[in-house]
Amino acid sequence: MKGSALATLCVIFMLFGAPAASAASQGAFGGASSAVQEAFAAVQSAGKDGGNISALVAELNGALSLIQKAASENSSDPAQAAADLGSALSIAQTVNATSASVAQQGLAARQLQFELSIGAAVAIVAVAVALYVYGDRIYHRLWLRIYGGHVVRRVG
Amino acid sequence: MDRDTAVLVLAVVTILSVLAAVYPIIPTNSEPFSELGILGPTQQISGYPSTVVAGQQFTLYVYVGDHEGMSEYYQVLVKEGNQATVISNSTSANLPPVMADSLVLVDNSSTIFPVTPSMSTAGLNQRLIFELWMFNSTTSQFDYTGLFAQLWMNVTSH
Repeated sequence: MKGSALATLCVIFMLFGAPAASAASQGAFGGASSAVQEAFAAVQSAGKDGGNISALVAELNGALSLIQKAASENSSDPAQAAADLGSALSIAQTVNATSASVAQQGLAARQLQFELSIGAAVAIVAVAVALYVYGDRIYHRLWLRIYGGHVVRRVG
Repeated sequence: MDRDTAVLVLAVVTILSVLAAVYPIIPTNSEPFSELGILGPTQQISGYPSTVVAGQQFTLYVYVGDHEGMSEYYQVLVKEGNQATVISNSTSANLPPVMADSLVLVDNSSTIFPVTPSMSTAGLNQRLIFELWMFNSTTSQFDYTGLFAQLWMNVTSH
């Protein structure tokens, strides 16, 4: 009787237990992949805003490696695969959260670059106009300061 | 130097200086593109296997480059085809991938990574096809870039 109950339990586990574990695993893969996709969209947007996304991209590639590792070890070590997927999900979420501040930094740097470039261009034009208008006077004053002390002597 | 020449020099120097100052904020308008290549076992464009044993793994390297003007999320799908397999710059091979590698690249960067595929079907003129797919953030799907590379090989059963 005990043996029969045990066998029944085993069959129930095989019928319902195994598929449940497999389904959870598929969900974890899908969740991690979706998180990476969302994080990538945020990183790409931050890059378009001029942010330095090299570190974020490296993190994303780390998450992708973990997902691929989880896929390869899922049949032999499902617990490790689940842990790797969890790590990948965590990395992707962190990257997603960090992207906003990187985008802000990029926008600020771009604004600063814009202001510096326009400021430099205006300054160059101003100096050129000043040289055009006052160039003769500046040149003559400089000439006088340099050669003003010279004495002209008759030769011979 | 007379005054006219001095004014001309001043104008040229001013224009060049202004262009140099605003150059960093001028948007570039280059043609965006991606790159896909297969390298041999020594990471060079040589030494590709022409005959392999079915089921036996061999090492190749895949080169992917991003010049799209932004970071991109790529997927390299490896498929096993034959002479009848149809693939073009607009249509990917209608075959299930035997391998898939995903990577994200920053604009103007490239990477080389190893792959160790194996051919399952013995026969002459079998094809190992590498397709480059790119993630579309708008549709949240991977789109075929139209880039593919392939190796023709004879696959023996032992």
